[in-house]
Amino acid sequence: MSTVIEMKGDRQGLREEVETTDMALFVRTSDEAMHGWDRQRIVEALTRETYVDLDTAKEIAREVEDLIATSKIKMITAPLIRELVDTKLIERGLEQARRMHTRLGMPLYDVDQLILHPNKENANVPHGPEATNLTLAERIKKEYALLSVFSQEIADAHMRGDVHLHDLGFIDRPYCSGQSLEYIKRFGLSLPNSIAMAKPAKHPEVLLAHMVKFAAGLQSHFAGAIGWDSVNLFFAPYLVGMSDQELEQLAQMMIFEFSQQAVARGGQAIFTDLNLYWEVPKHFENVPAIGPSGEFTGKTYSEYMKDAQRFAWALFDVYLEGDGSGRPFFFPKPLVHITEKFYQTPGHMDFLHHICDVASEKGNTYFVFDRGETAKISECCRLSFKLDHTDLEDAKQPWKMRYCALQNVTLNLPRIAYLSKGDDTQLFSKIAEFVETAVKAHLEKRLFIEKLLSLGEKGPLALLAMERDGSSYLRMHRASFLIGMVGLNELVQIHTGQEMHQSEQAFKLGLKVIAHMKLLVEKFSQRYGMRFVLEQTPAESTAYRFAKLDLKYHSPKSGHIVKGDISRGEVYYTNSTYLNNGAVLNPIERVRQEGLFHPLIEGGALTHIWLGEANPSKSSLANFVIKTFKQTQNDQIAFSPEFTTCNLCHRTSRGLRTSCLSCGSSDVDGITRITGYFTKISSWNKGKIGELRNRYRNQAFLEQTAEGIVLKAG
Amino acid sequence: MEEGMGSIKIFIKAKCPKCPAAKEIETELKREGVPVFHYDLDTIDGLAEASYYSILSTPSIIIEDEEEKEVISWRGVVPSLQEVKQYFFPLTPSLPPSQGRGEG
Repeated sequence: MSTVIEMKGDRQGLREEVETTDMALFVRTSDEAMHGWDRQRIVEALTRETYVDLDTAKEIAREVEDLIATSKIKMITAPLIRELVDTKLIERGLEQARRMHTRLGMPLYDVDQLILHPNKENANVPHGPEATNLTLAERIKKEYALLSVFSQEIADAHMRGDVHLHDLGFIDRPYCSGQSLEYIKRFGLSLPNSIAMAKPAKHPEVLLAHMVKFAAGLQSHFAGAIGWDSVNLFFAPYLVGMSDQELEQLAQMMIFEFSQQAVARGGQAIFTDLNLYWEVPKHFENVPAIGPSGEFTGKTYSEYMKDAQRFAWALFDVYLEGDGSGRPFFFPKPLVHITEKFYQTPGHMDFLHHICDVASEKGNTYFVFDRGETAKISECCRLSFKLDHTDLEDAKQPWKMRYCALQNVTLNLPRIAYLSKGDDTQLFSKIAEFVETAVKAHLEKRLFIEKLLSLGEKGPLALLAMERDGSSYLRMHRASFLIGMVGLNELVQIHTGQEMHQSEQAFKLGLKVIAHMKLLVEKFSQRYGMRFVLEQTPAESTAYRFAKLDLKYHSPKSGHIVKGDISRGEVYYTNSTYLNNGAVLNPIERVRQEGLFHPLIEGGALTHIWLGEANPSKSSLANFVIKTFKQTQNDQIAFSPEFTTCNLCHRTSRGLRTSCLSCGSSDVDGITRITGYFTKISSWNKGKIGELRNRYRNQAFLEQTAEGIVLKAG
Repeated sequence: MEEGMGSIKIFIKAKCPKCPAAKEIETELKREGVPVFHYDLDTIDGLAEASYYSILSTPSIIIEDEEEKEVISWRGVVPSLQEVKQYFFPLTPSLPPSQGRGEG
């Protein structure tokens, strides 16, 4: 172990300009500590880091020195000294100072375990050095967030499990985002801190390269998804005159680039959403198109419809084939927006069949329903952003259309029901309390992010503060603050004794709860001039976390309520406002009923249709999609087949199996949708495994006919 | 609610310009002894009930039969009192028959 507590004199000059890298050298372990011991260091740390006065600091330093001198300790480490100082602060009742002086970090044992064994909190993160870096950094940032960004009240609410503050390890970032290609088409690629600058692209391959690099930069600044609006339309001016083969090639490049990019956030693929349209969205019809070299082509986007459509078709050709071993692509995710105009656009039925073919074969397609003139930009797996009249003004200069959600705070609804003990007044009152807690958390996070942004292009969020078009890249006035929920079904079950699918009464209580939350967030939005919106939290690990905490704090009642297998530890609460995913329901009924909640959940919602190994005909899925659009209020649906991939022979088959169909090996992994994206089941946490076992795969509604398997829609 | 009777549900919102017309219909119907349920979308119960019927705009009116099945609905528009009575009264033999219909 190296010595690092340097002699006082040598570092005098350097102390004024200490950078973070230098400070790291000070605080390493040492076994020659007594040689370099200087109690003045303690005084300096206390006066630098806390509000403790000089006399008290000197007193504490002397006491710690005495303690060390009289002890028989052979090895003094800087962390140990810090802890001894902390005890002196506690003895004096100086709690605030102790918090400010505290050290963040992990035990040696934990680090050792971490480097060797994978972390399952996020199914996207592969195991490796980058992933380990991510976990270590996240741990420290999480502690930092709970100590220094959020107040004690909010931190405690999170740790108790009343609410969940998402992505605490990414405290210095916004949550997820919606981007516009027009920005790099027009301004080229000139990112702060990058070593080279690129002028606007002339060719589609270069535009793609810019897009991918920009996405990587953006992913380093957002905790969640990077969504791109109208991708096929904005590429269209660059595609004029391309042959089918060239177009197919470009489509392949795009998908392979985004499926392979393992950068940022611990080596995960960039979480990419491609929003696609068959029709030209109304708000872009008359907008002047930007083309090669970032110049206006003289045409409007409506004149590029055919090229946009060809590109969308080509993308789905690639999705249909799957990757090199026939597996579905996990990223980028294609979200097809369907508006009323879709049905009036020639060729839409063929396109619908094509994307349904992909949905059945590989599962990739997300069907987003933008009914009644509400244009929406989907950001991530279900977050969507309704465009209001100011946005529609911005649509004339589409590079301005940049949106983000700053943070997501999710409510533990079952907990509220346990605490209310069946009393209606208590229930609605507690819901309001919890929503208020979430709002407070948002205010605290916003303050922190604004502090970082205020340092501009020289600060830690330079990319988000850059101003190429006259306003900062991250538009705070258009930021959303999400309030999500887990376990509405269990709340209703605790409060009424029945689950939402079991009675109209129970279902209506569910609607009341969400109506209440919606009215509350509207009130708070007005009060603070911020956009608080409800969102269906994807809850990959939150549904598991809440269930475990409630088993701890609300037994024995919770033991009868949590879903999954307690003995295996595979426990979970039903996601957001979903009906119990094991309930045997006609899928179109499930879509309709879950859809009743969707208009209340402005941030976006989704219903899953689990297919298991079934491969329904594209026409039956197309029929289902049309019915969903016309007869329900459902916001978005996705069909999810299941696959098994063999680690030995690399072949993929349908359905979840314990051994490979081709070579018989038992070294296989399952692939299906976890919440908002496809991933390998071996990376799932226990709660999600429990939920996977319970998923109803619509067996009673899949019928073998002469034309193949049909998914019944009513 | 009496047995063998339908019901009428009216959905309004405080600041909606067409809602006063709907409120007038409600007052008139109540005077004639029709079971009318009033839902304000600015309240929890009102918004929840509106969601249940996929009511997205106000004013809206729904007529249900005694089995709580929808007979007819007007969404975002206000029908005439005549029209409402036309659809409601056939459900309830105990109340006077409507005017302006060919039969009975």
